[in-house]
Order: sequence, then structure tokens, then C-alpha cells
Amino acid sequence: MTTMLKAVNIQKTYGSRGNLYPALNGIDLEIQKGEFIGVMGPSGAGKSTLLHVLSTIDSPSSGEIQIAGQQILSMNDSQLSDFRRESLGFIFQDYNLLDTLTVQENIALPLALSHVPAREIKQRVQQIASTFGIDDLLDKYPYQISGGQKQRAAASRAMVSQPELIFADEPTGALDSKSAANLLDNLALLNEQEQATIMMVTHDAFAASFCKRVLFIVDGCIAMELHRMDSKRQLFLQRILDVLASFGGDPQ
Amino acid sequence: MTLLRLASRNLLNNFRSYFLYFASMVFSVLIYFMFVSLKYDTTIQQQVSGSLKIGSAFNGASIVLIIFVAIFIWYSNSFFTRKRKKEVGMYSLLGVSKKQIGWMLFYENFMMGVLALAVGIIMGAFLSKFFVMLLMKVMGYEAIGHFVLSAPAVINTGIVFLILILLTSLHGYRLIYRFRLIELFQADQRGELAPRASLLLALLSLIMIGTGYGLSLQNYMESVIWRQLGFVMTPMLILVLVISGTYLLFNTLTVYLLGLMRSRKSYFWRGIHLVSISQLLYRIRGNAMILTVITVLSATTLTAGGMAYSLYYQNEKSILLSDPNSLMFLSGGDAADTKIERLIHESRGVDVRYHEKLSALEMTVDMSSIPSAITGSKQVFTVIPVSSYNQLADWQGNKEKLNLRGEEAVVLDAGYSQQFSPAYQGASLHLHAGKVTRNIHVIQLCPYNVLNSGIAGTVIVLPDEAFTILAAQTTPVPMQIYGLDGGRQEARQLADTLKQHLSESSHLSSQAEDYSAGMQVFGVLIFMSGFLGLVFLAATGSILYFKQLTEAHAEVDRYAVLLKIGVKRSEIRKSVYQQMLFIFGLPLIGGMAHCVVALTGIFRLMSANIAVPVTICMVVYGILYLVYYLFTGHQYYRIVTQSATH
Ligand SMILES: Nc1ncnc2c1ncn2[C@@H]1O[C@H](COP(=O)(O)OP(=O)(O)OP(=O)(O)O)[C@@H](O)[C@H]1O
Ligand SMILES: [Mg+2]
Repeated sequence: MTTMLKAVNIQKTYGSRGNLYPALNGIDLEIQKGEFIGVMGPSGAGKSTLLHVLSTIDSPSSGEIQIAGQQILSMNDSQLSDFRRESLGFIFQDYNLLDTLTVQENIALPLALSHVPAREIKQRVQQIASTFGIDDLLDKYPYQISGGQKQRAAASRAMVSQPELIFADEPTGALDSKSAANLLDNLALLNEQEQATIMMVTHDAFAASFCKRVLFIVDGCIAMELHRMDSKRQLFLQRILDVLASFGGDPQ
Repeated sequence: MTLLRLASRNLLNNFRSYFLYFASMVFSVLIYFMFVSLKYDTTIQQQVSGSLKIGSAFNGASIVLIIFVAIFIWYSNSFFTRKRKKEVGMYSLLGVSKKQIGWMLFYENFMMGVLALAVGIIMGAFLSKFFVMLLMKVMGYEAIGHFVLSAPAVINTGIVFLILILLTSLHGYRLIYRFRLIELFQADQRGELAPRASLLLALLSLIMIGTGYGLSLQNYMESVIWRQLGFVMTPMLILVLVISGTYLLFNTLTVYLLGLMRSRKSYFWRGIHLVSISQLLYRIRGNAMILTVITVLSATTLTAGGMAYSLYYQNEKSILLSDPNSLMFLSGGDAADTKIERLIHESRGVDVRYHEKLSALEMTVDMSSIPSAITGSKQVFTVIPVSSYNQLADWQGNKEKLNLRGEEAVVLDAGYSQQFSPAYQGASLHLHAGKVTRNIHVIQLCPYNVLNSGIAGTVIVLPDEAFTILAAQTTPVPMQIYGLDGGRQEARQLADTLKQHLSESSHLSSQAEDYSAGMQVFGVLIFMSGFLGLVFLAATGSILYFKQLTEAHAEVDRYAVLLKIGVKRSEIRKSVYQQMLFIFGLPLIGGMAHCVVALTGIFRLMSANIAVPVTICMVVYGILYLVYYLFTGHQYYRIVTQSATH
């Protein structure tokens, strides 16, 4: 097994002098290729911050990050852009679709930016859209579709370029349980079949139970880690719920 | 009480948008007032009364200015109200009645308008004085020194703007009635459907512009439409056709073409095109109006500038053509001539480059063999020998040397017109002097002269032997010819001095004097077009600049997403400049096309060559415009990328 991502002693402090707020307090983390990792924790614990820092969108105050063997903190702007485009996929907490583009164009965007031939783009967009059940929405604009549909479109965009590492921030936040299960199934499938590495922040224990490993973050530190091993999902869900209860947090 | 507090807090919070609106109203009042003051200025009216062309230029320009001002104010008003929709929605939520809100907006708008009107006129009074003096000085034009606050200008400005202010205030009053609450809250976030353009309308826009162009290129004299509609209605029709055609063009054809590009996936889905084109498509409808206005303004500026500069440029050239020598006068006897020569040599800042004493013949020639529209059956010619011609041609430069023998002759006519002048070339004429009659054969016609037209008419150049034979039979007219080096100002002063020493009958012709006489006529024109040009350029550039920057602020989130998913900054920069190029380029190209057609139409009858001055005008305008483009592109890029991390 090869290491996909390695983070050493990550610190992230918000604010300026006199009014410092430590959002991340020394996080050490290693993610293997093909892992499906869940990140849970109370609101404000630093989950989104961790995701941003690991995914090159934000930079840590201190620490080291390696993705696929590359030191991302020493990359320059243009290298980072290439890297994001070719190796990373994002599903953001707020969907972040471009409202000037149709759903189809939104999904096509990463491929177009990498100069994939138009015919191939069309084919791949079609394929991923039908996986997520939004193929009849392709010609609509983001403001014409529901929140859950937007989230699925965002997921399609993140996965269409078949990135090595996918970051998802509460991808099921706005979905009903059926659509959520559908999306999670797709993520899991992608993880199994394509060996895609996925890191997903979620509040939802049910969503977390699709993962192979779940980190619990409290006050900017990794407080606990659960491995699914070969247990059934139902069993894993129970264990997650137990841990959440022990933190005194609300499981939903 | 709460309403008042709320309103005043809002005023503080929204100071920026209030200020922007107020400033743009003041700016409109300012330029309109300045222009109208000029129009009513007594000295200018005196100048104008003689010239129909300048008078109608003034009237045309003030109509364009009113349209411009109306659109500019309407535009900034809707921009302003759009920003306040949310605030209005909030009042409504708080339980203020629609009527109250409506009146509040009405009063607010009206008060601001009246205040802007007052400020604009006061500023205009001071600024126009300064501006006029500055420009007059630059042009060396002294006729207008004073500039007082004119009552008709104030009244005119007041009426025009009160109407505009009333209209915008009513617009504000109706705001609350026009929208549902939910729409007021979604003011800035509601997405717009990508526009669809009908091919039919797109074609119609081309047809309208084409018809307008066709009409303005027609020969005024021969065209049926011009004759039927007259010289007031036809230009109006052309204006309406071209302006509404331009609007339709921007509103539909651009959308249609961009839509076409969008549907061609192999082009559209390649790199940053996807972003640029969809952004443009999303924005273009909202920009169509403003692009039309800018096209019209650019066309007006360019046409006015091109016309004035052409006349100016033509003046320089036509003076050189009609006055090839700096000074020329009829000799008043040896004593007088020597005195003048001494005066010229003594004068400061002027050096004699050449001095020639020429004896010419004045002969009346029967022209019945080559009849023409402008000369009668007889015409007076000035006859000179070829040796004198060659001497003068050599000094004046750029003129070909002649070699004549026997009956050969050459005609020099600086005002030659293919259409109207006699067909000299190849003609045979008879010269009578005393008992001698000589046949001459015109082997060549030169469309220039070596003698000033104030003294000599059309010139016939003869071989020296033939000239001597004729000269022996009549009294030659002795002429004094000077070529001077030095400043124009000094040459003019010299001419003034010489006039005091020369009699009326010596017909002094001074290049410098004729030049400045021409310049006085074009002075008003150049000044006016310079004024309008500067104002319009500043206004169009600023409108585009502000409009784009406002859009940039609304685009920040979109570009942030792009950066997050791995679009390079360099690609974003490219996309931004591409979009700005489109937005800035369209009206410039449209304006230039309109201008070329208009000028071709106007100058067609004058058969003048205006390519050079008009090109210079366009290049200058284009460069100034380019500065706006680069500046806006730079700022746009800065805004959309500044907030993003990394
Ligand atoms: N740009 C910022 N500036 C200052 N503080 C910030 C910023 N972003 C986040 N924080 C703070 O950092 C802490 C962690 O925020 P983060 O968004 O990572 O929380 P989270 O775990 O994702 O919460 P949630 O589950 O609500 O999304 C919070 O207390 C938040 O207030
Ligand atoms: Mg979060």
C-alpha cells in the first residue's frame, strides 16, 4: 500500500495579533491510496479547515503536507493549479457551481480546462451524470434545480476527471436519505472500483458508516479514530454512534 | 421616528452608492451646462451666425448630448435603485406602507437631483470659464476671452434636468409597486437565464444598419429619398435606423454569435473559452444598452473630431496650394520695392529664403473651344516664361521642372476640378497681344500653381522665346515674390507692417495671414469637437470602467470557485482580458464604422482627401481607449482574484 497523503503537525491559526484563534492544533495524519476516510466532530471543531488545508485551498500556519509524494507547500501557484486540476476533486459544503454555466457545462469544466477532446468530454459527462441520476437536468442552470440536485452535480464535477484524491465537505448535507444513500453508494463504488482515495467531512453517522476509517476531531485535534475493518456497515454505524454519544454530541 | 433613523443609517451605510449616483448626476449637469453655455455665448453666436455648418453642428451636438445625458442619468439611477432593492424590501417587512416607501424614494431622489443640478451649474460656471480659456489659449485663438454665467443656459439646463429628475423620481416611486417582496430580496443573486436570440432579429439589425449606411452614402443631389424627405428628416431617419440597429445588433446578433460558439463544443469546451464565452453571454444583454450608447458617443466624437481635424488639415494644405509663396505683391516702382525689401530684411524672426522679381503678362483668352460650367467664353490668364517657372518651382520644392519648345504650353491651376474646370489638357488656344497672335498647344495641366492665387489667376507657362515676343507687344505686370523662413506669428506681423507701407493696389498676399484667417473659422469647430470629444471619451471610458468593476465585484465568488478547482491565475487573466476586449472592442469598432460612413457621406461633395486626418483622429482615440481597456482589465483581474487564497 502506498501513502497518498501525509500531514505532519499541522497547525492553523486564524485571526491577527492579539486575537488569535487556533483552529487546528497539531494534526498528524496519513492516508493510504484507496482509502475512504470520514471526518466527524462538533460544529466549529475545525473539520472544514482541515479539509481546506489538506486540499491546497488554504495554507496551514505550520506543518508539512505531502500528496502523492509531492510537497505541496513548496509548490508555486501554477504548479498548484495543475495539481488541483489533475489530481484533486472537490465537493464543497456550499455547492460552488457556476451559475452562468448549465449543469452539463459545470461538470465539463475540469475536463475542458485540461483540454480533453470535446467528444470524450461529452461521453464522460453523460456517464457520470447518469451515475448520479441527473442526466435529465444537464441543460438546466444551477438556480433551476434543487439543493440536493446541485450537490449531485457538484459531486459529478468532482469525479468526472477521475482524480486520485477527492475531498468532500458534507456532501450529503442537503440530501434526503435516499439521495444521500445513492451518492454515498456512488462514492463507495468509485472507491472500490477505481481505487479513488476519498476524504469526506460529515455530521451524519449514517454517511460516515460508508467509510473505511473515521476520524473524530475535537477542538482542532484528532481525538479518536475508528477502523471499520471487515465489519458490516450496520455494525460500524453503531460503533460510530457510540463514540459520538461518548463525546456528548448530537449524533445527527 | 424609527423610519427616519433607519433611513439615515442606511444613507451612511450606502454612502458609496449614494455618492456615485450623486456624482454622476453632477457630472451630467456639468457637461451639459458647459456645452449650453458655449452655445449661448455671444461671441460664439456671432461667429456661428455666418456659418450654417457650424450652427447645425452645434444643434446636432446638443441633441446628442441630451440623449447622452438622459441615458447616463437613467442608467445610474437604475444602477442605484437596483442596489437598494433589499433595503426597500426591509422597510416593507418592517410594516411601512407601500405608499410611504414610494414617497420616501421619490423625495429622496428629487432632492438629490435638485441638489446635483445646483452643484452642477455652479461648478459648470467656474469650470467652463477655465476650460474655455485654456483651450482657446492652446489654439492661439483670441476671439473669446470672457465667459459669463448666461441666463438662457441656466434656464435651458434647468428645464432639461428637471424633466429628467422628475422621471427618475417617479421611477423610484414605482419601485415598491413593481416588485414582489421576494424579488426585492433576491435583487442581486437571482440568476438570469442565458439569453436566446432570434436569427430574424439579428438579421433585421444588419438590415437597419445597412439601410442607414446606404442612405448616408447616397449622393444628396441625385437620391430620390433625400429629395423626398429633405435635409432634416433624412439624417434623422439615418440616425434612428443606425442607432436602433446598433442596439438590436448588440442585443441579438452578439448573443446569437456567442450562442453559436457555445453550441460548437469542440471550440467551446476547450480551456478557458468555456468561462469567457459563458460569462459574456450572461452579461451581454445587460450591457447592450450601454454598448449602444458608447458606440453612438464614440461615433459622434470621432465624426466631430475627424471633421474638424480634416478641415484644419485641409486648411494647411489648401493654403499651401493657393499661396505657394510667403509674400507676393504687385510692384510699386523701384523706390517703393527697395523700401519694402529693407523692411523685410530688417524684420525679426523672419529670414528671406528667396526673392524674385517677375514680369508677367495678363491676357484675356477666348475659351469657346473648351467650354465649362464655371468660366465664361473669355478668361483672364497670367502668362509667365518657363525659365521663371522653373526657378520658382525649384525654390518651392516638390514641383516638376518643365521643358517647353515652339507652341507648347502648360497650364497651372491650383483650383482645378475634373468636373467643373475647362478641359485644358490637349487644348489649342490663341493668345493675342497687339498685332501678334500666337497659337499654343497645352501639353500638360498641373493642379498647382507657383504664384499666389490672390494675385495671379490661372497661369499659362510659355517657352521663353514665345513669351518675349508677346511681352514686347503689351505692358508686363511686375511682381515681387518672397519666400520666407521663420515663425507664422512673425510672418503675420510682417504682413501687417507691410500693409501700412503698401498701397491697396499692390494686392499684398500673405500666406501667414490667409492661414490664420482660415484658422479662425475652424477654431470654433475644433474647439467644440475637442470639448465634446474629451467629455465623451471621459464619459464612455468611465461608464464602461464602473460598469465592469461593479460586475467584477459580483463575479468574485465565481472566480474563487475557478481558482479552487485549479484554473491558473494566468488563465483567469487571459479570460478577463478577453472579455474586456469584447466589451471595449465592440463599441469602438461600431463607432469607427459609423464614423467612416458618416464622414465619407459628408466629405463626398467636397471631394477632399480626409483619409490621413481621420486616421490620425481614430488612432489617437483608439490609444486613449486602449488605456481605459488595459486599466479596466487590470482592475477587474485584481478584484476577482484578490480575495482568493494562495
Ligand atoms: N476565515 C476564518 N477566519 C477566522 N476564523 C475562522 C475562519 N474560518 C473558520 N474559522 C473558525 O475556525 C473554527 C473551525 O472552523 P471550521 O469551518 O473548520 O469548522 P467545522 O468543523 O467545519 O464546522 P461545521 O461543522 O460547522 O462546518 C471555527 O471556530 C471558525 O469560527
Ligand atoms: Mg464545515
